[in-house]
Amino acid sequence: MRSAEVLDCHVLVIGSGGAGVRAAIEASGYGETILVSKTLAGKGGCTTMAEGGYNAVLREEDSCGIHFEDTMKGGAYLNDPELVSILVAEAPQRINDLLAWGAVFDVTDSCDVAQRPFGGQTFPRTCYAGDRTGHEMMMTLIERLASTNVEIENEVTALDLVREGERVVGALCLDGKGEVMVIRADATVLATGGGTQIYDISTNSSSGTGDGFAIGYRAGAELIDMEMVQFHPTGAVYPYDARGRLITEAVRGEGGILRNAAGERFMSRYDPERMELSTRDVVSRAIATEILEGRGTPHGGVFLDVTHLPRQQVEEKLPVMLEQFLKFGVDIREEPMEVAPTAHHVMGGLRITPDAGTTVPGLFACGEVTGGVHGANRLGGNALADTQVFGKRAGESAGRSPRRDSCIDPKAIEAQEERLAAFLDGQVPPSTVIRSLKTAMWEGAGIFRTEAGLNKTLGVISHLSSLRLLARTRENLAECCTAQNMLLSASLVVRGAILRKESRGAHMRKDVVQTWDARNSPYGHTYQSLDRSGIETAVRS
Amino acid sequence: MKKIHVRVSRYDPEGDARPHYQNYVVEVNEGARVLHVLQAIHDEIDPTLSFRYCCGAGQCGSCAVRINGVPGLACMEEARDDMTVEPLDLPVKKDLVVDLLPYLNTLPRIQPGGEAFVPDREKVELIKPLRSCIECLCCVSVCPAMDVTRFDGPAAMRQEQRLALDPRDRKDRVTEAVSRGLFACTSCQACWKVCPKDIEIPGKAIEKLRALANRKGLTLPRHQEVARFIRESGRSIVRTGPTFLEDAPEVIEPDGPVRATVGFFVGCMYNGRLPATARDAMEVLKRNGIRVIIPREQVCCGSPLIRTGQIDFIDTLKKRNIDAFVFRNIDTVLTMCAGCGSTLKNDYRTPFRVMDINEVLTKFGIEAPARLPIRVTYHDPCHLLRGQGIRDEPRELITQVADLVEMPSVCCGSGGGVRSGMPDVASALGENRRKEIEKTGAEIVVSSCPFCEFHLSEHTDRPVRNVTSLLLEGYREKDRKKAEQQVQG
Ligand SMILES: Cc1cc2nc3c(=O)[nH]c(=O)nc-3n(C[C@H](O)[C@H](O)[C@H](O)COP(=O)(O)OP(=O)(O)OC[C@H]3O[C@@H](n4cnc5c(N)ncnc54)[C@H](O)[C@@H]3O)c2cc1C
Ligand code: SF4
Ligand code: SF4
Ligand code: FES
Repeated sequence: MRSAEVLDCHVLVIGSGGAGVRAAIEASGYGETILVSKTLAGKGGCTTMAEGGYNAVLREEDSCGIHFEDTMKGGAYLNDPELVSILVAEAPQRINDLLAWGAVFDVTDSCDVAQRPFGGQTFPRTCYAGDRTGHEMMMTLIERLASTNVEIENEVTALDLVREGERVVGALCLDGKGEVMVIRADATVLATGGGTQIYDISTNSSSGTGDGFAIGYRAGAELIDMEMVQFHPTGAVYPYDARGRLITEAVRGEGGILRNAAGERFMSRYDPERMELSTRDVVSRAIATEILEGRGTPHGGVFLDVTHLPRQQVEEKLPVMLEQFLKFGVDIREEPMEVAPTAHHVMGGLRITPDAGTTVPGLFACGEVTGGVHGANRLGGNALADTQVFGKRAGESAGRSPRRDSCIDPKAIEAQEERLAAFLDGQVPPSTVIRSLKTAMWEGAGIFRTEAGLNKTLGVISHLSSLRLLARTRENLAECCTAQNMLLSASLVVRGAILRKESRGAHMRKDVVQTWDARNSPYGHTYQSLDRSGIETAVRS
Repeated sequence: MKKIHVRVSRYDPEGDARPHYQNYVVEVNEGARVLHVLQAIHDEIDPTLSFRYCCGAGQCGSCAVRINGVPGLACMEEARDDMTVEPLDLPVKKDLVVDLLPYLNTLPRIQPGGEAFVPDREKVELIKPLRSCIECLCCVSVCPAMDVTRFDGPAAMRQEQRLALDPRDRKDRVTEAVSRGLFACTSCQACWKVCPKDIEIPGKAIEKLRALANRKGLTLPRHQEVARFIRESGRSIVRTGPTFLEDAPEVIEPDGPVRATVGFFVGCMYNGRLPATARDAMEVLKRNGIRVIIPREQVCCGSPLIRTGQIDFIDTLKKRNIDAFVFRNIDTVLTMCAGCGSTLKNDYRTPFRVMDINEVLTKFGIEAPARLPIRVTYHDPCHLLRGQGIRDEPRELITQVADLVEMPSVCCGSGGGVRSGMPDVASALGENRRKEIEKTGAEIVVSSCPFCEFHLSEHTDRPVRNVTSLLLEGYREKDRKKAEQQVQG
């Protein structure tokens, strides 16, 4: 065994999306900070892809109380109220940080940050930079990061956390060449984002493979509500290989209209009051039902139409959409888009305290890898706010952690090397396993679920997990680890879905007849860790 | 499903001395992008193929490659049969993966004062187009000036201008941009044309920074001299002999029936330095039924001022030129200088149509010239190819007279005020052209821009001709043969 490179730091941040970079910026004020990113920092993850916007209470007519209520209602009251209070209270301060660091959000004529309406919100409070809001945030954060002394390890994949006793003391990673890298840290922040790449149709970037769920779980952290996967109502259906690509909610926010193949504005049958701007779970199920019942378009979607809007509005407010569709041969100023639901966001994740601490000492988490903030269904615009609010908190908490004399157990490195070595004489390419997983998840753990379907999916996952993954060269090792992380994340989603015998928010169990609505549900979070799993039966107010 | 044949550049620094091509055949779905072809190769044929991607939706700038020689995003460009995929022309790490970090780390970063506020709407609207950059570095990979001098390149200049516009930034970005090579840009527009976000760096960043530099008195002395001269004489070229306009009639009637009437915008170079070439063009037009009106009072189009950021005198020039043609009720203005044409089309708002001579001749069709027994190569003028999107027309004309050997379309160095302001840079770029010209083995270099023609002639031992001069030679040869036949007959 070659001796692995060892780095040492006060805070280790894993992930360079909005949450990770925000955490690293904050942590750098407390001591030496290393940021590890599977991709080039700033280019990976879903933050840079976020289009629609960032929710923050900025106007007098609006209030944190209303934002809180919208968020809880949207989340089918499964959200952790304390985390939501923090989210709504601090989102405005965190957008101010971004503005102080040079972010260029759209502004009104009176020089205020402009806001647009978004689904499930009673006040137009979604701040935006055209339809490239996440990109604007990421550019700002990366610029800010460059002025700190955070050491960035680009294109390095975190494999596993290392513990000393109860406590997380760092991580094992793989560099671009497939060599193991060891990082010791006083505190570690997990900010690896979500994981809807476990589904056949997904909006996520290539790094949305749920690595953090798996890494956290293996290190003993508890995850909650993993069954809560948001299916965004509007994903692209053509070209086939780019299916699932997000059509931002801003399209409906700007006035886009949904129609089935017969030309009917079908939302009037599902939510006559909120229509297209209903919450995502409702709109997704409406579209899925239209398609299932044979009222879909030739490419298997429904129509989303902005042709009635002034051309200039489309050009100014939806430039990325316009450009993407033009590339694919559709001028959305003149013809409708075709859309269908796509796996978008994992609401569940590592259980955190208000200070972003996980259930494992020494480990903090922020962003999409955590659970509790968004409950059973996330409101559009709340995730970007989440990355900043809890990114800062995680960075601060990690930074404040005491310095300690810890060391990485050589046995952990050895075990990891053995795991990797096995891939080098494995049998099945990871891409084959991933393809089968994605299909199984879409079919058995998608928008509509039943216990039988979920159990069948779990069977497929456990079969796939038993296959011996093959890496042709050391450079392919990371793909094998990712495939295993996807399998583990998928099993957490399915197990959570089996545990939750009710329909709530994004989780729809067709085989359960229930007598309660979300507010009166007898259930709380599902939870899963190495030690225990179950569903909380909290008495709710 | 459809079959795609693809040639991919492979290179592993551990083992390969140099990159080589590997051919693959894969099946992909209708509408598949280049990225999906690469994924299919990776998943089904060879997992050792390395390429970078992340968002799959044109938003992260990870996946830029060269597709059939042209930089673009693998996740957005449609896969075509028989395509070649190569890494960007940047240091290659492996296969299609290039090292973006050395450049990205040089990008200027904001130094904010600390208060949280948003710039006003007008500022935001100016910054936004520059802000959509995804740092894919397609632009940097094609910038010719960066190859020959210390110039930080288009993506950095974009960022300098974005910062210069932002009231929150506290640094003097204009002076910084100058020290980072602002005046080395030839305004060749290569960066803009490959930018997947269509960011007009030369016009929206570089020229704007040069204008700000002008206000700070940082304009290069040679550029100031040119500006002074234009202000005094209406011309950017010192008179060294009789000019085209001094000798030309007000109207040139064609030989045969009139097929079209155009007003001729001569431009300073053809007027003052290469009048013989302009006269050749007039001969060709005359022979092809184009009636030409030549207003004497026309002046410099202002391009040398706009490109160098000296814009306070521009409106006067524009008005004088527009009036000169409007006064004569001209609805089509013909340019033969690529720079003037691009300026009239892109920087003016004209009440008349502007057409380059190559467009006019191919639109109306020309009398066939005789074929000359020579091989020529064609140098695309930046302001014709990219400034006006004219690529096929000159080729259509040239191939009627001679055999054409292509060479890559790269700036010769004569534009953007670089020839006058930074002669070393212009000359180094010219020398790069010399090598390409030699590779073609052509006997003559043809172009369609006086700046290119003049500059190239100093950087090649072959004769440099304008497209119309070449046509005229073809006509003369035709006439000579005809005369010979008549003598013999
Ligand atoms: C297309 C799209 C549009 C969206 N639009 C909006 C919107 O308009 N408003 C809104 O509020 N939310 C939106 N969301 C959701 C929101 O963008 C995400 O929830 C949020 O950005 C997640 O941020 P993050 O920092 O937690 O993770 P990410 O931004 O996903 O970043 C994760 C980072 O972790 C790294 N990483 C992952 N695994 C590893 C590993 N093993 N080792 C090392 N590094 C690793 C990745 O490289 C990446 O840098 C959108 C999501 C998508 C996909
Ligand atoms: S216009 Fe040409 S020289 Fe100037 S920055 Fe762009 S590519 Fe470089
Ligand atoms: S300016 Fe355009 S081509 Fe250059 S890095 Fe930015 S997005 Fe890419
Ligand atoms: S993969 Fe992100 S731009 Fe192509």
